[in-house]
Amino acid sequence: MLLIPGLLFLLLFKYTPLYGVLIAFQDFNIFDGIRGSEWVGLEQFHKLVQSEEFGQVFMNTLLISVYKIVLLFPVPIVIALVLNEVRLMFFKRTIQTIIYLPHFLSWVIISGLFVTILSTSGGLVNNIIQWFGGEPVSFFVSNQYFRSLVVFTAGWKEVGWNAIVFIAAIAGIDQEQYEAASIDGAGRIRRMLYISLPGILPTVVLMFILRLGSVLDAGTEQILTMYNPVVYETADVIGTFVYRIGLGKMDYSFSTAVGLFNSVVGFILIVSGNYISRKLLKRGIW
Amino acid sequence: MTKRTKGDLLLDIGVYAFLIALGLIMLLPLASVFSKAVSEEWAITSGKVGILPVGFQLDTLMQVISSSVFIRAFCISVGVTAVGTLISILMTALTAYPLSKRNLPGISFCMVLFIFTMLFSGGLIPNYLLMRQLHLVDNLWVLILPGMISVFNMLVIKSYYESLPEALEESARIDGAKTYTILFRIILPLSMPVIATIALFYAVGYWNDYFGPMIYINDTALKTLQLYLQDVVMDANNANLTNKSIDDLMNMSPEGIRAATVVASTVPILLVYPFMQKYFIKGVLIGSVKG
Repeated sequence: MLLIPGLLFLLLFKYTPLYGVLIAFQDFNIFDGIRGSEWVGLEQFHKLVQSEEFGQVFMNTLLISVYKIVLLFPVPIVIALVLNEVRLMFFKRTIQTIIYLPHFLSWVIISGLFVTILSTSGGLVNNIIQWFGGEPVSFFVSNQYFRSLVVFTAGWKEVGWNAIVFIAAIAGIDQEQYEAASIDGAGRIRRMLYISLPGILPTVVLMFILRLGSVLDAGTEQILTMYNPVVYETADVIGTFVYRIGLGKMDYSFSTAVGLFNSVVGFILIVSGNYISRKLLKRGIW
Repeated sequence: MTKRTKGDLLLDIGVYAFLIALGLIMLLPLASVFSKAVSEEWAITSGKVGILPVGFQLDTLMQVISSSVFIRAFCISVGVTAVGTLISILMTALTAYPLSKRNLPGISFCMVLFIFTMLFSGGLIPNYLLMRQLHLVDNLWVLILPGMISVFNMLVIKSYYESLPEALEESARIDGAKTYTILFRIILPLSMPVIATIALFYAVGYWNDYFGPMIYINDTALKTLQLYLQDVVMDANNANLTNKSIDDLMNMSPEGIRAATVVASTVPILLVYPFMQKYFIKGVLIGSVKG
């Protein structure tokens, strides 16, 4: 009986939209509704495959996502390993408090922060660039730097937070291993490399597989709050594209087709990621 | 313990240098925007403000927080967060309970129903059309109802329930307690740590939500704080791109206004942050993947 409200919620807000996915196979007209609109089969998907714009959006998504993984995935691991070497509890706690904080700020606030420090009129970073004799850079309207900005701010927000899992994994390592190693004459660097690191390796692999599962999500909300028409060329990702085409240009059917493509690929990635991790590590998300 | 070698000393220096640098990178943007919010007008327009404020004034900040649009957006966000968190926690905790009973008939099928929605969704447009049909567009309930239950959070609570000793429930049943009594008198009170954590995550989610309001709320009278903030941040940004025409219209620079608005919206989080800290670490660990 207790399940009824939960199941109703699922039915209405999660499963009804799945029925709406049908409009990806239609030339949907909002006045005729799903029942009255004309069926066009896979036409929207043909349009999608041939659209040059979608190709670019897809590449942008992959690029930003892969940059985020390559550049940002190792950082929390390093942070956890380094924090583990700190013996001053006060210092350790202070640093932890500081690096978790950005996780709780919204993307809008973070965009605001970075608009401020990267501003060309007296922003901190451009002041420093000019100090060294460089030309000020308008990061937010530069196709050259916008992706770097996206990756950096994503890192700024989440690296500290993502370190928590690894910090916990290190805390779970058997202390006797460290003692045995130091009796054998291993210094702290060696203990870090040969005990801590292998000790958290299963967690690292698991997190990595799971991260790969969401490779098509390059950070829609983040990019929406930061970008502008000048940088669509390098910054438009699938999520923002669906929004622009669907709600901006009212091309409901095409936008739904893009969304469906995204959902299907995402689904396959996550399910296979979980399968691999179950095979490899005997654990997964379900 | 072992005595310190030269390598250890180097390691120590490296460790502290790395962490101090990291801490500074996290703090500098905050310090910089704070400085701009409280610095004197002439210092901002001439680009003299770096990390530390130049001069000190609270006029810009006062003007921002006393504007009726800001107050309204702030109140709407507080309301949505409070009501949303309450409903979410109640729904999530209740739904998780039957699902934690593995021997109930049909329960594993229900689990599949829930988990499937974590992996696959209709996407933006079908969701939008549904909200339109339900007449939820430009209605603040749209920010709460569709996200009432986060399946992930529910799984966290469920696994916590499962970790409670079964004997507890059995003895209560022998004493004649019904399901509801057991849930409200025994299970929920014992689950307070995890419930507090999840409530915190829900609250942060509602407070920070930008995507939802952007899609479903067009009515300017219903703008949430994040929407209002985005207007200020990006308007000021565009004004900077073209020219500084806004300077002539207002006696305060868009830079200063923007910084003050960001500060005014950040302060509430900074104020509660110390209190929530003791909860979230535990929460992440309960929530982190396990086999």
